[in-house]
Amino acid sequence: MDFKTTVFFFLSAILIFAGLRVITARNPVHAVLHLILAFFTSAGLWLLLQAEFLAMVLVMVYIGAVMVLFLFVVMMLDINLDQLRQGFWKYLPLGAVIGILIAIEMGMVLGSRYFQVLDSEVPGVAANASNTRELGALLSTDYVYPFELAAVVLLVAIVAAVALTFRGPKKTRYTDPAAQIRVKAADRVRVVKMPVEKQD
Amino acid sequence: MEMQKLYLLVALAPLFGAAVAGLLCRVIPRWLGHTVTIAGVAVSFIGSVLVFQDVMAGNTFNGPVYTWMTTGDYSFHVGFLIDSLTATMMLVVTFVSLMVHIYTIGYMHEDPGYNRFFSYISLFTFSMLMLVMSNNFMQLFFGWEAVGLVSYLLIGFWYTRPTAIFANMKAFLVNRVGDFGFILGIGLVLAHFGSLDYATVFAKAPEFANTTINIWGAADWSLMTVVCICLFIGAMGKSAQVPLHVWLPDSMEGPTPISALIHAATMVTAGIFMVSRMSPLFEMSTTALSFVLVIGAITALFMGFLGIIQNDIKRVVAYSTLSQLGYMTVALGASAYSVAVFHLMTHAFFKALLFLGAGSVIIGMHHDQDMRNMGGLRKYMPITWITSLLGSLALIGTPFFAGFYSKDSIIEAVAASHIPGAGFAYFAVLAGVFVTAFYSFRMYFLVFHGEERFGKAHHDEHTGDHDDEEVSHDHHHGLAPGQKPHESPWVVTLPLVLLAIPSVLIGYVAIEPLLYGGYFEGVIHIDKVAHPVMEELAHEFHGPLAMVAHAFRTAPFWLALSGVVVAWFFYMKRPDIPAAIQRRFSGLNAILENKYFFDKINETVFAGGARLLGRGLWRGGDVAVIDGFIVNGSAKVVGWMAAVVRYFQTGYVYHYAFTMIIGLLLLLTLWVRV
Amino acid sequence: MFNDFVAPSLYPAAPEIFLLFMACVILLVDLGVKSPRRTLTFVLTQLTLLGCAAITLLTSNTEVVYTFSGMFVDDMMADLLKLLVYGAVMLALFYSREYIQDRQAIPKGEYFVLALLATLGMLVMISANHFLTLYLGLEMMSLSLYAMVALNRESAISTEAAMKYFILGALASGLLLYGMSMIYGATGSLEITEVGERLYTYSVDKSVLVFGIVFLVAGLAFKLGVVPFHMWVPDVYHGAPTSVTLFIAAAPKLAAFAIVMRLLVSGLITQAADWQGMLIVLSVLSMGIGNLVAIAQTNIKRMLAYSAISHMGFMLLGIVTGVVGGDARFALNAYSSAMFYVVTYVLTTLAGFGLIMMLTRAGFESDELDDFKGLNKRSPWFAAMMMFVMLSMAGIPFFVGFFAKFSVLQAVVAAGYYWLAVAAVLFSLVGAFYYLRVVKLMYFDEPKIQEPIEGPLFIKVLVSANGLAVAALGLFPQFLMSLCAYALMRSLT
Repeated sequence: MDFKTTVFFFLSAILIFAGLRVITARNPVHAVLHLILAFFTSAGLWLLLQAEFLAMVLVMVYIGAVMVLFLFVVMMLDINLDQLRQGFWKYLPLGAVIGILIAIEMGMVLGSRYFQVLDSEVPGVAANASNTRELGALLSTDYVYPFELAAVVLLVAIVAAVALTFRGPKKTRYTDPAAQIRVKAADRVRVVKMPVEKQD
Repeated sequence: MEMQKLYLLVALAPLFGAAVAGLLCRVIPRWLGHTVTIAGVAVSFIGSVLVFQDVMAGNTFNGPVYTWMTTGDYSFHVGFLIDSLTATMMLVVTFVSLMVHIYTIGYMHEDPGYNRFFSYISLFTFSMLMLVMSNNFMQLFFGWEAVGLVSYLLIGFWYTRPTAIFANMKAFLVNRVGDFGFILGIGLVLAHFGSLDYATVFAKAPEFANTTINIWGAADWSLMTVVCICLFIGAMGKSAQVPLHVWLPDSMEGPTPISALIHAATMVTAGIFMVSRMSPLFEMSTTALSFVLVIGAITALFMGFLGIIQNDIKRVVAYSTLSQLGYMTVALGASAYSVAVFHLMTHAFFKALLFLGAGSVIIGMHHDQDMRNMGGLRKYMPITWITSLLGSLALIGTPFFAGFYSKDSIIEAVAASHIPGAGFAYFAVLAGVFVTAFYSFRMYFLVFHGEERFGKAHHDEHTGDHDDEEVSHDHHHGLAPGQKPHESPWVVTLPLVLLAIPSVLIGYVAIEPLLYGGYFEGVIHIDKVAHPVMEELAHEFHGPLAMVAHAFRTAPFWLALSGVVVAWFFYMKRPDIPAAIQRRFSGLNAILENKYFFDKINETVFAGGARLLGRGLWRGGDVAVIDGFIVNGSAKVVGWMAAVVRYFQTGYVYHYAFTMIIGLLLLLTLWVRV
Repeated sequence: MFNDFVAPSLYPAAPEIFLLFMACVILLVDLGVKSPRRTLTFVLTQLTLLGCAAITLLTSNTEVVYTFSGMFVDDMMADLLKLLVYGAVMLALFYSREYIQDRQAIPKGEYFVLALLATLGMLVMISANHFLTLYLGLEMMSLSLYAMVALNRESAISTEAAMKYFILGALASGLLLYGMSMIYGATGSLEITEVGERLYTYSVDKSVLVFGIVFLVAGLAFKLGVVPFHMWVPDVYHGAPTSVTLFIAAAPKLAAFAIVMRLLVSGLITQAADWQGMLIVLSVLSMGIGNLVAIAQTNIKRMLAYSAISHMGFMLLGIVTGVVGGDARFALNAYSSAMFYVVTYVLTTLAGFGLIMMLTRAGFESDELDDFKGLNKRSPWFAAMMMFVMLSMAGIPFFVGFFAKFSVLQAVVAAGYYWLAVAAVLFSLVGAFYYLRVVKLMYFDEPKIQEPIEGPLFIKVLVSANGLAVAALGLFPQFLMSLCAYALMRSLT
C-alpha cells in the first residue's frame, strides 16, 4: 500500500463517518459541521485524482459560501429535529428493508466489476498541465451550450426566488396624492340598506 | 338527381332537423321545433321511397363517400351500401319515425323538454339510417353506438325520476357488455381479414372457413364461429336477447313515442339487421347458428310468459317486443334471414301501432299506466280501440294480417331446420303463439272491455310489483273520480290509422316478393347445402291466399285462437280464476314476478363476483347506479372510494416518495439480471 | 489545443436564443410597467412566442441538423413539437389572463416571465441530444413550474403542492441522473445518438445498462406522471392555481413525450425489450388506477389529474409497441400514434381547463364537479363545448380522442399484444363513466349558480375555437395524423 492509497482510505473513512453523522446527529449545527467536514474530505479525494480546480471550487463555493449560509439558517431558525424525526422509527423498518434491497441489487450489478480498487488506468497528466485552463477551454467550446443552460437555470432560480418572496414595499407608510384625489365617496362609505325590524 | 346525393340527403335531413331543434332548443318556439324536425324526416322518407324505387329498378350502390382516416394499413370510410335490404330498412325506419314525430306533437304536448325531445328523435333517425346504410363495420359500429347513446338519453329523458335514471344506467351498462362482444368481433374481423369493408370481408370469408384460432388452453376454435358469436353477443345486447334483455323492460321509463320508435320498431331490431347483413359469415358456422337459434327460442318463449303477469300497459307491450325479437332471432338461427327481416318489418308496423295505441290510452287516462284501473275504454276512445284491436290481431298472427305471414313463415322455417337446437326452438315458437295470443288479448280485454274501473282511487290497492309502485310515485296521476277518458287529438290518432294500414296489409303484399321472389338475391347468402330451409319453404308456398287457407289446418292458428278464448274466459267471464291460479301457484308466480331473477342474479352473482375481483369498479358502479350517479353528496360511494384513495393519496410527501422508491424497486427486481 | 475548434452554428437554435433574449428583455421591461393589468408584458410575451413560431417555421427543414458539438438536434419532430408547444403556451396564457388578474396575490410580471422560461426549458428538452442538455432543460422547466405552482402566495394549498412537487421532482431528477450516469458508465458516452450507435457496434455490460435504464424510466415516468410515480399529479393539479394547472397539464406533456422519444427510442432502441416491459407495467397500472380513482373525485381538477395519469398510460402503449422482437415494421406507425395521442390530449385538456377558467371569478374557483351542474341552463354553448371535451377524452367516436385511442390500439394489436388492447379498452370504458358524469351534471341537473358566464369576447371565441377543434379534428383527423407520421419519418431514420 503506497502513500496515495493510504491517504485515500484515510480520507474515505472520514468521509463516510462524516456522512453518517450528518444524518444521525441530534444537533442540527453538528450536522452542518459534519457536512463541512465531508466536503473537505471529498475535496481531498479530488486532489488525489489531480482535479485540483474542482477541489478548490468545492472548498470555496460549498464551504465558503453555501455551508456558511446553511449554518446561519440553521442557527437562526432553531429547528427542532426531534419533531422532524417523529415518524422516523415508524418508517424505519420499511425504509430499511427497501434500502437494503436496493443496495443488494446495486451490489449484485455493480459490485463484482466496479467496487474494486483497480490499478488506475487513467493516463497520467503532464506535470505542468493546468486543470483550470483545460476546464475553462472545454466549457467555452464544446460545452458552451450546457454551460449557458446552467446559467439560465440559475436565472430561473433567481426570478423564482424573487417572485415567491418579494412582497413589495408594502410596509412603508406613505401617502399617494394621486390616489387621494381619485377617491370617491362611494369608495369610502358603503351604505347598507336593511329592512326595519318590527317590534312585536 | 344523382343517386349518391339523394342517399346523403336521406341521411342528413334528420340530422339537420336535430341540429336546429337541439342547438336552438331554448330559442326557437315549439311549432318551429317540430316543423323543422318533421320536415327533415319527411324529406328523408320521400327520399327513401325514391331510393326504394331505384333499387327495385335494379340499381344498387356500394362505395365510399368520404375517407375518414388512414392509420397503418387500414383506412376508414364513410360509405353507403344501398341494396334491397338497406332500402327496406330505410323505408321502415323513416316511415315509423315520421309517424312517431307526428304523434309526439300530441303526446309531449305539455312537456317542458319539447324541442329537446324532437331533436333527440331526429338524431336517432339519423343514427339509425347511418347504421343501416353503412357499407363497413366501422360505420356500423358508429351508428350502433350513436343509437345506443340517443336511446340512453331518451330513457333518461324524464331525468327527475330516479327510476328513469336507474333504467338508463342499466341500459347503458348492459349494452356495454354487448358492445364488448361486438367490438371484439369487429377486431377479429379486422385482424384476420385486414379490412372492414363488407364486400371485401365477405369475399375473403370462404378462405377462412377452416381457420382455427386458439383462445384458451389448447382448444382450437373455428375462427368463423368465434367471430359470429362475438358479433351476435353485440346483437344480443342491442336486440335484448336473454340474458342481456334486462334493460328493455326498464327502458319503458322513457316517453311512449320513443318506446315505439326505438324500443320496438327500429333500434332493437338493429341486431337482427346486423346478423342478416352478416349472413355470409354466419352461414359458415352452424355452431354459431345453433347458438343464435337457442338464444332466440329462449327469449321468444320465456319473455312471453312474463307478459302475462304485467299490469303496466307499457310493460306488457315491452315483454311482447322481447318475445317477438326472440322470434326474429330464431328465424336468423334457422338461416331464414329474409323471413327474419320480413318479420322485422311487419313487427315494426304493428308494434309501433300497439305502443302508440298504449300511449294514446295513457294520455286518455292522464298518465295512469295500470291496466287494473282501466276497462271499457272502447266507448270513449273508438279510434284507439279499433287500431289497437287491429294491432293485436296482427301480433297474434290472425290469418291475413301482417303478423300471420311473417310469424307463420318463421314457425315453418324452424320446422324445416335441422341444426342442433331446432327441436327445442320449434316447441318454443309454437308454445309462444299461445302465450302471445293470451297476453295480447288479456291486455285488450282489460283495457277496452269489461267494467269501467277508472275514476276510483285505486292507487292504494297495489300489491307486490315494486316496479309499478315506483312508477306510481310521481307521474302517475290517473283520472279523478267521475272523470271520463276522452279520445286523443288527431295528431295522435292519425299515426295510429296510418300505421294500422300496413299492419293489416303489408304481409299479404310483401310475402311473395320478399321471401320467394329473389328480392334479397345477392344480399343475403345462404349455404343451400347445409341449411336448405328457404328452399323447403319455397317448395311449400303457393301464394298468400293459399297460405291463409292452409293456416286453418295448422297448429299455430288453433293455438292463437285458444289463447284469445282463454284470455276472454279468464278476464271477461270469470276474473276470479286468474286470481285463484295466482294463489295456487304462488311459487311460479314469484318466479315470473321477479322476471326469473335475472336482475337479482345480475346484481348478486355478477356484481358480487366482480366485487371480489376488483372491488373498485363494481362497487363504484353499482352503488353509483343506485344513487343515480354518485355526485351530489352520495356520501357512501365517495366515502368508500375516498377511503381507498386516502390509503394511497395521503398527502404526506414521504409516502409519495416511498411509493416512488417502491416502484423503482419493483422495476429493478423485475428487470435487472446480473 | 482547441485550435481546431469550429464555432457551432447558432442557426438551428435560433428560436431558443430569441426566446431567452426576449425573456430577459421582458423581465426588464416589466420593471417599468406600472399598470396592474400588465398589458405590455402580456402582449410582449405573446409576441415573443409568435416570433419563436415564425423563426421555427422559417428555419425548419426536413433534414436532421446537429449543432453545439452534437448536443443539440433540430429535426422535424422537434420543429413540430416546438410549434405545438408555442401554441399550447399561448393558449394557456390567453386563458389565464383574467384568472390571474382576479387574484391579487399572483405577481403578474413574473408569471409571464416564468412561463417563458419554462417554455425555454421545454424547447431545450425537445432538442436535446445529450444527457446533460436534456437534464438541464428538464430542470429549467421544472424549476419554473415549481415556482409557478407556488405563485399564489396567499394560498396554503398551492404552497403545499409546490413543496411536494419540488421535493418529489428533486427525487425524480436524482433517479434520472443516476440512470444517466449508469448508462454513461456502460457506454462511455453522454451523447444520445452516440450511445445508440455504441450499443449497436460494441458489446456493453448489459446488467449495468438495464440497471441504468430502470432509473431512467423511473425519472421519465415521474415527468409523464404515470403510476407509481404519479403521486404528485393530483396534489399539484388540485393545489396549483387553475391557470398553472392548465399550463402544467398541456405543453410539458409534449416535452415529456420528446424526451421519452429521444432517450428510449433514439438512444436505447437496442434495449427495447427491456424498457418496453417496464413501460407496459407502468402503462397498465396508470390506466387502471387513473381511471378507477378518477371516479371517486368530486373536484374536477383532481378528476382531470387522474384522467391525465390514465391518458399518459394509454399514450405509453404507442411507445411500447414500436419494435417487437426486433421487428421495426410498425415502428413509425406506433410512434406517430403515440405522438398523435399526446397532441390531441394537449388540445383537449387546454379546452377543458380553458372552460373551467371561464367559470371562475374573483374569489370563486369553480373547480368542484357540483359547480358544473346545469351548465346547459347557464350557457348552452359552453356546455356543448365542455361536452365535446369530455366525450373526446372518453374516446367517443366522432371526437378526436377516439381516433387517438384507436390509432394507439391499432398499433397495439398490430404488435400482437391482444391482452393489452383488451385491458386498454376495458379501462377506457371505465373512464367513460366519469367523463359522461360531467355531461350528465351539465345537462340533467339543476344549476347551483344562476349567473351567466362572463368573460372577454376574444377569450370566449378562443375557447370556442378550441372546443370546436376537438370536434372538427374528429371529423378530419387525417391531416394531423399524417403530419405526425411525416415528422417522425423524417426524424427517426
